[in-house]
This record gives sequence, C-alpha cells and structure tokens, in this order.
Amino acid sequence: MLPSSTVLSLAGAGTVLTVIFSGELGHLKAKCSPRPRKVFSRWCIKELYLQQHSINGFKSKKQNSLSSFAFGKKAEDSFFSDVNEDTDDMYEDLINNYGKVVFSRKDKKPASAEIDDDAESLSFAMELASVASEVKAADIKVLFVKPLVYWTRFFIIATAFSRPQIDAIGSRMRDRAEKKYGKIPTGDTKPNSWTLLDFGDVVVHIFLPSQRTFYNLEEFYGNATPVELPFENQPPFRS
Amino acid sequence: MIQPQTHLNVADNSGARELMCIRIIGASNRRYAHIGDIIVAVIKEAVPNTPLERSEVVRAVIVRTCKELKRDNGMIIRYDDNAAVVIDQEGNPKGTRIFGAIARELRQLNFTKIVSLAPEVL
Repeated sequence: MLPSSTVLSLAGAGTVLTVIFSGELGHLKAKCSPRPRKVFSRWCIKELYLQQHSINGFKSKKQNSLSSFAFGKKAEDSFFSDVNEDTDDMYEDLINNYGKVVFSRKDKKPASAEIDDDAESLSFAMELASVASEVKAADIKVLFVKPLVYWTRFFIIATAFSRPQIDAIGSRMRDRAEKKYGKIPTGDTKPNSWTLLDFGDVVVHIFLPSQRTFYNLEEFYGNATPVELPFENQPPFRS
Repeated sequence: MIQPQTHLNVADNSGARELMCIRIIGASNRRYAHIGDIIVAVIKEAVPNTPLERSEVVRAVIVRTCKELKRDNGMIIRYDDNAAVVIDQEGNPKGTRIFGAIARELRQLNFTKIVSLAPEVL
C-alpha cells in the first residue's frame, strides 16, 4: 500500500505545485483532497495526508519561495489595479471638473486674441499680396496654413518672370512692411530663383515659373484654405 | 557632432542617398558641425538615373543629429540618425520634399525654405 500511496501523494504534490504556480493557494485542499478520497477507501486518507504533509515539508523551501512569489505577484497585481482604478477615478474627476484639457500652457492666448492676431496677419498678407500685384507678379495665392503648420499663419506664393522683377517685388514688400507695419523680414536679401521673405506670421515665396512648378508648394499645402483676393489676379502665363 | 569623414543620410528626394562630410563651413579650423550648419560633402551613394551622382561634391545643411540638441527651455532633442539636406550655392534645396521631422532652429538660421518643405517641425 505504501508505494501506491507514495505515488499518489507525489501526484498530490504535483497538484500542489501546479496550484501554487497558478497562484491560488486557497484552493489547495479542495483540489487535492477529493482526488484520493475517490480512489481510496477512508482508512488510507490519514496516511495520505501524512504523506502529503511530509512531502510538503520536504518541498517546503520551494513552496515557500513559490508562495511568496505568488503572494508578491498577487500583491503587485492588486497594486497595479488599484493604481489604475485610482488614476482612472482621478482623470474622471479632472475631466468632470475641468473638461477634457488637464494641462495647458500659461502663455497661451485667449481665443479672442488669437482671432485678432489672425485678422491682423490677414490684413498684412492682403497688403503684401496687393504690393505683389502692383509690381505685376502673376498667379498670386494667399494660403491660410495655420491649421497645417504651427510656425506661421499665411503663405503668399507669387510668380515673377525675371530676377529684376523678383528684386522689385521683394524690395517693395520690404519697404511697405517696414513703413506701415514696422516689420523687417528675414530670409533672402538677394534676388534668388526662389526668394523667401519671412515676416513671422506671413511667409512670402516669390518663384521663377520653372522653380514654381519644380517645388510645387501649392500641392504640398493643398489642404490649406485659399484666401480670396480683392484685386484682379493675373493668369500664371501671359500668352 | 558632425566632423569630416562622418557619413550622413539624406533627408530629401534630391537623389543622393548617403553623404560623407569633408569640410565644415564657418571658421577656419572648426571641429564639429551641429543642426543648421552647412557642410561640404561628397555623395557616397546615389539613386540611379537622378541628377546627382556618386562622388559629386555638394553642399548640405545638417537637419538631424544623434548628438542632443538643447533648447533654452530645457527641452532636449536627439534623433536616431545623422541626416542632411542637399542645397545649392544659393541655399535652395536640390530636392523638392524633405523627409522626417526637423527642428525649428533651422528657421532661425534662415533655412525657412527647408522648413516650409518639411512634413513635421519639432
């Protein structure tokens, strides 16, 4: 009888181990004890229990470490779930109290000031576009690119047909901006095949026709809203 | 920290694939170049059937470096690669589009053309 019980107790120990691995120590007895009861008559149960105990004692070190691991894992899980619940609750409270924004920069302007700035930049851009039109720049486009890029509000794209004309457009724009708005551009100072004037909120691109088709900025900023121009716009190519 | 012999990726569609820095433009004995500096580079690898060819000497602007870029507000930007954009003598980019994120410092350094072609500005 002894060998069979040993075998069984080993099996029992096996179950113990698996149970410990799954981390449910509470089910230990419920899981091991019914099995021998079903197989053996009552008188061998005591012995079996003893055997189990001895084996448990033999494996006590491993079990302890495992159980501690299990407890640790359990504790960790519960800790994480608590944190998650806590943070979720916290965020929910914050969202209820302050809406969806939980962090905002202190230097952010109110919406009305933004609209004012937009209007100011728009008037400045229209002024520059009209200057370009005075010097017979062709195919002038004013694009509102603020929704696409954060670093500027308006793009003015214009075509000039020679470098002297580019120079004329650039210098007139500089003069007008400095006289009327007190803004001094950065960017190209000499006429270039792609001359760029950076006024901060408004960026002016003056292209030669070939460069304009080469870089194709309108396509790149295709999602930007074009602004209607009050003056008669010249067609891109004079025929 | 780009120095002569450093290999850089090309962040535009000019046709070059890999550059090697051979000179940093600026002071006479400058050791390292950072984001926004112009370098003279040689094309080590190029896409076939494009205007730029292997072993051609070009100018390029550094747009990304593995070395951290520090801002005054404490922000630090570090990219995964060293990358440059090929430009001509006038400062116009040779390609028509820029790939990947670039830093806004390029605008202050008068490379607004590169910034306006970039898909993302950090």
